[in-house]
Amino acid sequence: MSFYISTLLVYFFVDVLLAWALNLQFGWGGIPNFALIMFQAVGAYAAAVVSLGPDTGAGAFQRYVFGSDLPFPVPLLVATAAGGILALVVGMFALRRIRRDYQAAILLIVSLIAIQVVSNLVGLLNGSNGLTGVPKPLSGVLAGLTYDGYQWVYAAWAGLIALGVYLLVARLGGSAWGRALRAVRDNEDAAATIGLNPMGLRMQAFVIGGMIAGLSGGLLVDFLSAWSPAAWGYAETFAVFTAIILGGVGNNWGVVLGTLLVQVIFLQVPTFAPQVGYTGLIDALEWVLIGGLWLLCLAIRPRGLIPERRRTVAPPPGVAATLTPGPAAAAPSQGVSQ
Amino acid sequence: MLIIQAIGFGVITAALIAIGAMGFTVQFGLTNVLNISYAGAMTVGAFATFIAEELHLALVLGVLLAPLAAAAVTLVLGRTLFAFYARRGAGLFEMVMVTLAVNLILQFGIDAASHEQIYRFAFPQGASLHVGPFTFTVTQLALVAVAAGVFASLEFLLRRTRLGKALRAMAVEPRLARTCGIPTAKIVNVVWLLSGALAGLAGLAYVINALTIDASVGTNFLPLVLAAAILGKAGSTRGAVLAALALGVVTEEVAAVGGAAYSTVAGFGILAIVLLTRPAALAGQATGKVEVTV
Amino acid sequence: MRKPIYLTLATSGLLALAACASNGGGTASSGPVGIVQIAAYTGDQAFEAQFSDSIDFPALYAVNHAGGILGRKVSLIQVDTRSDPADALAAMGKTLATSSNVAAILGPDSTSAATLVPLLNTHHQPMMISAGEAAYDRSSYAYLWRDVPPDPANGEAIALWAKRQGYASVATVFGTDTGSQGDLPGVVAGVKAVGIKLADQENLTPDQPSYRAAVERLLAAKPAAIITESDGPTAATFFGELRQLGSLVPIIGTSGTPSDSYFTPMRGAIGSANFNKYFRAVVVGNPVTSLAVKAFNASVLATAAKLSKPVTQWENNSFSESGYDAMITLALAMDAAHSTAGTVYNSYIAQVTAPGPGKQVVYTYAAGKAALAAGHKIQYIGAAGPLLFNKYHNSFGSQAVEEFPANAPAVVVGTITQAQVQALGG
Repeated sequence: MSFYISTLLVYFFVDVLLAWALNLQFGWGGIPNFALIMFQAVGAYAAAVVSLGPDTGAGAFQRYVFGSDLPFPVPLLVATAAGGILALVVGMFALRRIRRDYQAAILLIVSLIAIQVVSNLVGLLNGSNGLTGVPKPLSGVLAGLTYDGYQWVYAAWAGLIALGVYLLVARLGGSAWGRALRAVRDNEDAAATIGLNPMGLRMQAFVIGGMIAGLSGGLLVDFLSAWSPAAWGYAETFAVFTAIILGGVGNNWGVVLGTLLVQVIFLQVPTFAPQVGYTGLIDALEWVLIGGLWLLCLAIRPRGLIPERRRTVAPPPGVAATLTPGPAAAAPSQGVSQ
Repeated sequence: MLIIQAIGFGVITAALIAIGAMGFTVQFGLTNVLNISYAGAMTVGAFATFIAEELHLALVLGVLLAPLAAAAVTLVLGRTLFAFYARRGAGLFEMVMVTLAVNLILQFGIDAASHEQIYRFAFPQGASLHVGPFTFTVTQLALVAVAAGVFASLEFLLRRTRLGKALRAMAVEPRLARTCGIPTAKIVNVVWLLSGALAGLAGLAYVINALTIDASVGTNFLPLVLAAAILGKAGSTRGAVLAALALGVVTEEVAAVGGAAYSTVAGFGILAIVLLTRPAALAGQATGKVEVTV
Repeated sequence: MRKPIYLTLATSGLLALAACASNGGGTASSGPVGIVQIAAYTGDQAFEAQFSDSIDFPALYAVNHAGGILGRKVSLIQVDTRSDPADALAAMGKTLATSSNVAAILGPDSTSAATLVPLLNTHHQPMMISAGEAAYDRSSYAYLWRDVPPDPANGEAIALWAKRQGYASVATVFGTDTGSQGDLPGVVAGVKAVGIKLADQENLTPDQPSYRAAVERLLAAKPAAIITESDGPTAATFFGELRQLGSLVPIIGTSGTPSDSYFTPMRGAIGSANFNKYFRAVVVGNPVTSLAVKAFNASVLATAAKLSKPVTQWENNSFSESGYDAMITLALAMDAAHSTAGTVYNSYIAQVTAPGPGKQVVYTYAAGKAALAAGHKIQYIGAAGPLLFNKYHNSFGSQAVEEFPANAPAVVVGTITQAQVQALGG
C-alpha cells in the first residue's frame, strides 16, 4: 500500500506541474493549448535519450536519436529546455492573432500528427515501442534504500520541484508581467494601444508553460523508466483541461484542487470498482466520464470551484481623485468564451 | 515514374478528404461551430457499415447506413447539446471545448463497446484498372465519383436552390436572415443532417481504403479533413475541394519520395506555412463579432 | 488565499485517511490462489489481450480441473496496463495493495517490464515475463523467469533457416507498429551473423492504400526470400501488390505472424495456393505431438467459450503453449514447495523443470501433482517443449518452422534448437 500511495503522490506532483503550465498558457494567456501533452512528451523523450546512452545500432533493441549518458540532474534540465524549444517552434505559427477556435483546432492537429510521426519514424524515438530502461536517477548513490524508500525519496523530490515551480508561477501571476498577460487575454486591442506586445507576451507564456510541461515529462520518465506514444494520446490533454476547469481556471490553488479531484480521485477510484463487463471496460469508460465531467463543468460552474482571484491594484497617489468608478472592473474573463 | 503514379494515389486520397472537408465546411461556415466531434461522427458512420456487414445485411443497405447513422447522431447532438450551450451564450471557443468533450465521449464510448479491438474491414475492391500510368481499383474510382457527385450536388444546392440561397444568407447575416422570414432553425437542422451524412460517408470511405476499423479512425482522419477545411476557408465547398486536392497529392508525393511517416506532416506543413505567412487570410480575423448560430 | 489551501489540504487528508484504512498485503494461506496476468487489455496494444486469454483460461482450467494448488482453487487477477507504463504502475500498485493472495505473475509485457520488474522483484513475486527485450537475457533479478525466446532469438532462428534453405540474399518487410518492430533488430542481426546478404529493408506505415514504392524497391533488390512481420491488412496490401507487379518469392514470417487476422487477409491477397506454397513461419516451441500438447489442446477446447474465435488458431499455437507451460510450472513449483509464498517456491521453479537422474518426467499438471504427492522429483516437459532455464532464468527451447494449411493445425517442416541459436551468439 505504501508503494501505491507514493506512486500516486509522484503522479499527483507531475500532474500539478502540467496543470500550472496549462494555467499559465490558457488561464492567464488565453492560449487554448490542446497540444499540452505533447510538451510533456518531448521533455520525457529528451530526458530519456540523454540518459540511456547510445543506441548501438542494429543489434540493440531500441533505436533513437542522440543517446548520451548524462548524470542527474542534467536530463531534467534538458527536458525543460526541450519543452521550451518545442513551444518556441510551435508558437511561431500557432500563436498568430487568429480566432481562438482555429487556434485550438490547429494545436489539436499538431498533437495528433506528432503521435503519428513518432510512431512511424521508428529510428527517431523507437516508434510505437517507445523507450525503456531509462535509469532511475541517483540509483547508485541511493542504493542503500529499499524500493519503497526510494519511492518516497522520489516523491519528496517531485514535491520539492513542485514547490519551486509554484513559487515561480505565483510570482509570475502577481507580477507586472502577469498583469500584462491577462490584459492581453482580456482585451488584446486595448492592451496593444497602451504599448504592450501581445504576440511577445503570449509567446513568453507559451514557452514558460512549455518548459514546465517538459520538466514534468522528465520527472515522470525518470520515475517510470519507460515512455511510449501510448502515454501521450490527445485525450491526456483533456484530463488536464478538465482538472483546471473543475478546479478553477486562472487560480493556482484551484488547479491543484482540480488535479487532486480529477487525476487522483476521479481517475483512480473507478479502478476499485468490482469488475463489470470485460477487463478494461471501466478503463475505457473513464474517458467517457472525463468528457461528461467536462460538459458538466462547462454548464454549471465554468469558472471552476475556486475561481480566478480578482486582483486589484491601488491607483498611484494623486490619480485616485481623477478616476470615476466605471461599471465594476470588467469581470476577469475566464478565458472561456471569446 | 513513381512520382507520376503518386498523383493517382493523391487523387484518391483527395477524394476521401474532400468528402469529409465539404461536410465540415458547410456546417462550420453556417454555424461557426468548429465541430471536433465530426471525428466521432465519421467513426459512427464507419461502424454502422461494419456492423451491417457483420450482420450479413445487403451491401447497399450497409453503405446507406453510414451517412444515415452519422447524420442522426449529428442532428441529435446539434439540437440538444450544442444548442444548449449556444443558448447559454457560449462563444466560439467554448463551443470547441464542448465538441471536443463530445468527441471524447463518442470515441471512447465506441471504443468500450467495440472491446477496444482493431477489426478487419472487408469490402469488395473490384478489379484493377490501368488508366495510363495509373492503377486504380473499381472501388477507388467509385470513391472519386462519389466525391465529385457530392461536390456537384452541393454546388447545385447552394447556388441554384432557395435552400442554398437561404443558407448563404444565414452564413453572412444570421439576424437579418431571420427577420427576413428565413426559417433559420429548420435550415440549421438541415445543415446538421448534411454535415453528419457527409461525415459518415467520409468515415466509410476511409475504412474502405484502410481495410481496418477501430474506434480511433475518425480521430486519425481528422487532421487532414480539418486542415483542408481550414485551408479552404469556412463555408466554401470549392475551397475545400481544392485544398483537399492539394493535401492529397502532396501527402502521397511525400509518401512516395520520402516515406509514409512524413506524409501527414507534409500535409500539415502546408497549413503551417500559410499560417506563418498569411494567417488572417485563412484563419479569420480575431476581432469582429462572429456568433454561434445554432 | 486561505480558503483554497484549506480545501485542498482537507481533501488530501481525507484521501490519506481512506488509504490507510484499507490495507491489503501479506500472503493469505487459504482461499483462492491469485495469479496475476499483466497485459494490455485496452489501448494501442489491446491485441495482447486475446493472447493472454488463450494462455490464462486453458492453464487455469488444467490446474483447477486437477484439484488446484495445495487444495486451493486458482483464480485469475487481470491487471490492465492500458498500453502505458504509467497506468501499468498504478494498476499493479493498486492490485498489490488490495489483493492479499497474489502468488505469481504472468508477465509483465514489453510495455510495462521496465517499470514493473523491479517492483515485483522487490515484492518477491515470481514472474514469468513475456517481454522479449534482450535486456533480460542476462537478468540478475532473482524472481524473473522467461520461457519465451528474446526477440533477437526468433530473428536468429529465421536467419539459420534461411541459410539452410540456401537463400543468398533476403529482404525484410516489417510494419512500423509496436508488435512488428520488436522483432526486427534480431532478424537483421541474425541475417548478418549467418552471412546472408540483406538486400533491402522496408518499414511499412500501416493502413496505407498502396506500398507501390516499397514493392518496386524490393523487386529491384531481387532478394531470394522475404522475412516479414506486420498486421494483416498491411501485409495483404503489400504482398498483393508484389504479386501484381512482379512475382512472389518464399516468405518467412516471424513468430508474431501466425494468427487468423494475418492469414485471412494474406490468403485473400495472394491466393490460397500461393500462400501454402510460399509462406512459412518460424515459431517458438517445437510442437511435437506429445501428451502435453494434447492436454493443452484439450484445455483450449474446454474453455473455447472464453477465447477469441476461431478457436483453431490457439490449438498448437506455440506462444500460447509457452504461456500455458509457464503457469503449469509455477503451479507445480508451489506444490513441490508446499507453499504459495514467492520466497519459498521461487527456487523450485528450476527444480521442477530441470532434467536429472531419478526424476519422473511428466507432461501434464495432473500427472506432476500426483508424482509430487507420491514423493517423487519431477521434470515437467511442456507443450512447447522442455523448459531449460539457464543461470539467467532464461529458457527458450527450440523453434519450429511451420506451414499453415487452411483450417487445420500447423505442420512442422523444420526445427532450430536453442543450442544452434546460442551458437550464433544469441
